[in-house]
Amino acid sequence: MEIVHGVSHGQLIHDVPVTARADMRVPARVFADDELWEQISGDRSLEQLMNVATLPGISRYAYGMPDMHEGYGFPVGGVAALRAEDGVISPGGVGYDINCGVRLLVSTLTADAVRPRMQELVHELSRAIPSGTGRGSRLSLSDADLDRVLAEGCRYLVESGMADVDDVEVTEANGSLPRADPGAVSQRARARGRDQLGTLGSGNHFLEVEVVDEVLDEELGAVYGLVPGRVTVLIHCGSRGLGHQVCTDYVRLMDQVMAKYDIHLPDRQLACAPFASPEGQRYFGAMCAAANFAWANRQAIAHSVRDVFRRFYGDAGRLRLLYDVAHNMAKLEEHDGKLLCVHRKGATRAFGPHHPETPPRYRAAGQPVFIPGSMGTASYVLAGRDQASALSFGSACHGAGRAMSRHAAKRAKSGREVRQELEAQGIAVACPSSGELAEEAPFAYKDVERVVDVVHRAGLARKVARLRPLGVVKG
Amino acid sequence: MGVSSELLSHTAEVKLRVRAPSLGELAAEAGRALGALELGTTPPLASGPWRDLEIRAPDREALLVEWLNELIYLAETERWVGVEFEARGAEDMVLSMRARGMLVDEPPARVKAATFHGLKIKKTPEGLEAEVVFDV
Repeated sequence: MEIVHGVSHGQLIHDVPVTARADMRVPARVFADDELWEQISGDRSLEQLMNVATLPGISRYAYGMPDMHEGYGFPVGGVAALRAEDGVISPGGVGYDINCGVRLLVSTLTADAVRPRMQELVHELSRAIPSGTGRGSRLSLSDADLDRVLAEGCRYLVESGMADVDDVEVTEANGSLPRADPGAVSQRARARGRDQLGTLGSGNHFLEVEVVDEVLDEELGAVYGLVPGRVTVLIHCGSRGLGHQVCTDYVRLMDQVMAKYDIHLPDRQLACAPFASPEGQRYFGAMCAAANFAWANRQAIAHSVRDVFRRFYGDAGRLRLLYDVAHNMAKLEEHDGKLLCVHRKGATRAFGPHHPETPPRYRAAGQPVFIPGSMGTASYVLAGRDQASALSFGSACHGAGRAMSRHAAKRAKSGREVRQELEAQGIAVACPSSGELAEEAPFAYKDVERVVDVVHRAGLARKVARLRPLGVVKG
Repeated sequence: MGVSSELLSHTAEVKLRVRAPSLGELAAEAGRALGALELGTTPPLASGPWRDLEIRAPDREALLVEWLNELIYLAETERWVGVEFEARGAEDMVLSMRARGMLVDEPPARVKAATFHGLKIKKTPEGLEAEVVFDV
């Protein structure tokens, strides 16, 4: 296969021409340096990105972020913008964990002040926030409450005292997508999500207490209020079983109606329907509702974290929400003068200072973008750039990206060894499953510094600050 | 040919290969492997009564995906993990199974869903073979 390397931005762009396969409608473009490109070439993610390039109505390129790796249907780290007018919407392009995302809370506490009780703090956080496999929340929602969470997202939690107006203002889409249609969410999805509000979930979901290790851009850091040595809390999770079931329900539906719309794809997991069709609209309404549930979930978790910090540190433990941003989502956005349904599967929305959806208080910097590393490694705060709209439909990476299978990671080291290594670095750990700790070990991931460096150099977003973990609560 | 299952390499998710002489036995073996995944260990012997489960889908691949997603749903909502299975009937569009399982304290939600990605139930000289990717 012919690959065109480094058309611009040094050697950070790798293009697969549209002629590489007869069924591709647009080229595929990956942002990566030589080492990341070699890793990306080592699994099936590029083939999956080329499959994405066959979707009807796809615009410009199928994009791969530098943390791209093999997924199912879409690669993780894939971005595709489909014309709203005559393109499709694909549940597989969002994934099962609808609105999986990250929020960052910042405090005025110093790392030195929290270190002496870090093990105790992490233990209390793990007790306050049900984390592991399927553990239910202490909140159980009635049908009416669940409908309101699905329709209103974070806004609903303002009424119940679990969020304040300031939280809503610094959450993507104000934590509430207006196109949400609770009626399109099945009873099965409701049954899976009913008692999961305020829970972390399993897999790579986690909560980290971190310290601002270095502010890399003082001007942007000042806009975000990031100060070296201060403590932050990063929360990474999504819509739990409710979102998983919404995706399951609509992959099934799309699979059954593709023939009606004469859509033929190389991978059945990409199942889709025209965005404007009744099935496309119904999925979009259900997905928006699941996204609202995810924002409410991260808000409920933040509420519990705040409660623990208040108990530990009193007023000094106040936690301000910096921002909350999704990385598994389909959103209606304008790019190139067209209305597009932008699918981001393991890719973070990264809007610049002049985008109307960037909160007014961040107009001098751009929308905050959070890139969690793996346990034990750094996480990054970046700022979106206006030019990213033309480069990647306003998208950046979402993490370090897996480099090693879970099976191989567990073979390489036990959970106990991983825990000992983290603790030797001064990182407190709370994790209900030793096996899952091994699966998520730092060595199973790519080098986050390298991934973030590519995002910065390619002009997708600007580095603002580096965070270092002090304590980890694993889902 | 007997039944067998094994985990294959996948960068982020879990990929399962299952082999069996027939569609019903393939579904049973895939169900057993999923139970082990959910529990994180080789399942103990089942206890409790048998339950009947029937799945309908447009084709064999969709039947297998629907079957596994049904088990994932039951595990998460009923805390019931299926570990022992018998096929009562398997046609191209209907799967009738009997299952026994175990109740667990915490509903396992390690596996989010079974996907269609790359799924093809292939005929082999010994029977059938399928590879299923689970989102975990």
